[in-house]
Amino acid sequence: MDFSTTITFNGLIQQFIVGLSRTTILFIVSSGLSLVLGVLRIPNVAHGSLYMLGAFLCYSVATLFGNSPIGFWFAILLAPIGVAIISLATERGLFCHLYDREHLMLLLFTFALMLIFHDAVKLIWGSEYRSLTPPVIFQGSLPILGMPFPKYNLFLLSIGPIVAVGLWFLTQRTKIGKIARAAAVDRDMVGAVGINVSWVFASVFVIGCFLAGLGGALVAPTQNITQGMDHTIIMEAFLIVIIGGLGNVWGALLGALIFGLTDSMGIMILPQFSIVFPYAAVVIVLIFRPKGLLRATW
Amino acid sequence: MPPDGLSRLKWFTLGMAVLIVLALCPQFLPRFFTYLLALILITGLMATSLNVALGFGGMYQFHHAVFYGVGAYSVSLMLIKTNLPIALCFFTAPFASAVLALVMGFICVRLSKLYFGMLQLSLGSLVWVVVYRWYSFTGGDDGLHGVPIPSLISSVSGSFYFTLIVSVVSLGLMYVILNSPFGQILQAIRDNPERSETIGVHVRAHQLVTQVIAGFFAGVAGVLFVTVEGSAFPDLMSWTLSLEFLIMCLLGGWFTFLGPMLGAAIIVSLRTMVGVYTEYWTTVLAIILMLLIFFLPEGVIGYLEGFFKRPDVSTEEDR
Amino acid sequence: MLSVKDVQKSFDRFLAVKNANLEVERGEIVAVIGPNGAGKSTLFGLIAGRLAPDKGRIIFKGKDIGGLASYLICRRGLSMSFQIVNVFNRLTVFENVQVSVLSRLRRAFDLITPSKRVAVEETREILKSVGLSNVENRASGSLSHGERKVLEIAIALGANPELLILDEPTAGMAPDETASTIKLLEYLNSDLGLTILFCEHDIELVFSFANRVMVMRQGVSIVQGTPQEVKDNEQVREAYLGGS
Repeated sequence: MDFSTTITFNGLIQQFIVGLSRTTILFIVSSGLSLVLGVLRIPNVAHGSLYMLGAFLCYSVATLFGNSPIGFWFAILLAPIGVAIISLATERGLFCHLYDREHLMLLLFTFALMLIFHDAVKLIWGSEYRSLTPPVIFQGSLPILGMPFPKYNLFLLSIGPIVAVGLWFLTQRTKIGKIARAAAVDRDMVGAVGINVSWVFASVFVIGCFLAGLGGALVAPTQNITQGMDHTIIMEAFLIVIIGGLGNVWGALLGALIFGLTDSMGIMILPQFSIVFPYAAVVIVLIFRPKGLLRATW
Repeated sequence: MPPDGLSRLKWFTLGMAVLIVLALCPQFLPRFFTYLLALILITGLMATSLNVALGFGGMYQFHHAVFYGVGAYSVSLMLIKTNLPIALCFFTAPFASAVLALVMGFICVRLSKLYFGMLQLSLGSLVWVVVYRWYSFTGGDDGLHGVPIPSLISSVSGSFYFTLIVSVVSLGLMYVILNSPFGQILQAIRDNPERSETIGVHVRAHQLVTQVIAGFFAGVAGVLFVTVEGSAFPDLMSWTLSLEFLIMCLLGGWFTFLGPMLGAAIIVSLRTMVGVYTEYWTTVLAIILMLLIFFLPEGVIGYLEGFFKRPDVSTEEDR
Repeated sequence: MLSVKDVQKSFDRFLAVKNANLEVERGEIVAVIGPNGAGKSTLFGLIAGRLAPDKGRIIFKGKDIGGLASYLICRRGLSMSFQIVNVFNRLTVFENVQVSVLSRLRRAFDLITPSKRVAVEETREILKSVGLSNVENRASGSLSHGERKVLEIAIALGANPELLILDEPTAGMAPDETASTIKLLEYLNSDLGLTILFCEHDIELVFSFANRVMVMRQGVSIVQGTPQEVKDNEQVREAYLGGS
């Protein structure tokens, strides 16, 4: 193998941007996970499967429209909604009976869901991988500071802040967000003042899962859509949520930045072991701050 | 349950009978079933070691498979890359797992419950990802194959006997440990760590020792796996495998000693049987798991025990 | 034996204990009283090492134990029983107490001896002294509230303490259970020579039974003295006893 390890400034910037767009996806997915974990206290292992489902749904809808630009936008919109509907059904049908169980039970229960989703995807889409090309406007690259940047990555970069602001608005400014935050601290209290906690929980769960679906839909044009997607992302999302602080949405952002950037920068230093860097970063953070960087909500 | 002389004799006879039947198995069972039995024993040993920390210690052992994998890799690497005496390789490999458990435990026992589990998960994944990527040393995602095992214990029946002896001894040791003062205090910590601390128990030290013990026996299971399969691969320390072991404990009953073994037997045979008819056997597993969580949260043995012996165990602490 | 000097503890800027002083002599029964939220439980938590004080000193048998881990404090001969029932639910009554004895005998890391053969006589004796012998094989989760409170005390006794601290030992008990618990405490004090520090809501009970009483209010210890002295104290009448 002859890869040159000359690290140029341009290369660094480019890797940085690539890392940031990956961070966006990680943030969207893990903020959803964090929301569910923080408010409902469910360590939702099936979150990664919903991400995978989002990607496959996005592929199918886009193909249905013959890969036209409108089809792509429909797909980006419909895939997360589809995921949200599925999650609403599982919440109402199954989870709402289990809220008072131990975390361990909830974890295993969502693991069961993950297995079912996995088989369902295999049944519907088969085991070959799929790929999706982004619409023409996002193909090619755009020169910034004299360097070419893939347009789709720039598009992703613009989505990240929108989601972050949306989540901030939702949790800080809306009634449901306020109730959810109160419920995260003291569930019985919120129930005692006569608020129907059950539906608040359902909405939070659905929003969290919607984000997983959105992440999946957005990532679909950038990589192969495969069966193994759920495993990788759920591990990463969990680690991000842990280093950020359980249930803290801003923590998820910080965690995603650490994870995404160490990953893309690691490629420049030791390509073979690049994936080791983010994991090592997580461990280092946790050795010094075992409960995460930002304050956990519980 | 105070065992009077008679029932102790009964249990002893029953245990011996089971052992004798097991020992005769390779003589009349087809090779495949002998292999399957060995696999059940190994998986059961692994699940039991997990349950030492989980069911008896109350620790959220989310990533126990790491110790399994490290045991398997250690013995494989030593056999392939060094000229050490074979017996020494077999003997020291579980200690590699124990040392890892000590290091990981040292970091993790500062926290409790979900935080403990999550921290263990992250540390375990680091180990996994290193093994997964380090092609030159661990073989990367291909793993290590054709590990040179001495012929005495590499044949189907040879590996079965080796597995049988080692796992019976290991189970016996774990049984003794769990019924010692150490084990008794461990269960007290599971029920109520704060209270244990105020009666003079050094909770963290106790948990750390438990981690080392659980890790050691997981390492033993890993070594046995290599003996039977002749290979080691990264999936042995994957997180989903860890969750599968958790399911076995839940299925059999995690407040009982033999529950995880039963759970392992059910799941391994189910996988083999259902796997013949459909590739979607994991859905079957998932449905079983869901039913369990809804209807049998104490597992099969736990349920039977509750049914016959202790109708009065309160479930207040489960909330 | 125990002296608490100018101790302070706050949680998130809320001062739970502002300035607490307390003296306990060997062989005494000392009570702490005060309205809800006066900081009694926090004070006991500080003494037993469940919390670390922000300021002040807690001296037990001549050594400062402030901020020491609770397992170490226990090993020095100070044992605590809790207000909220805090037993080992999945263990039997016998095992609950045995665990405590095993810990005191430093058998925690004995991995080999079957625990059936260790500390049996001692455990039985403690169970007998508190009157739980008849239920020793029941799961502790299945006991009545009163029985569990007594088990609480039995667990604390397993550590063979010199000073026993009880946080509201009779809370939620039926009158006859309260009476027998008081009898038990008197027996522990007079026959086994245990020093007892407890806090209680029932003032009548406290005055009938304690040698000395300390009154706390809003995190401050107002006065400590014999029941009569406390009853006569103007500040206490005003603050706590109201017009009675």
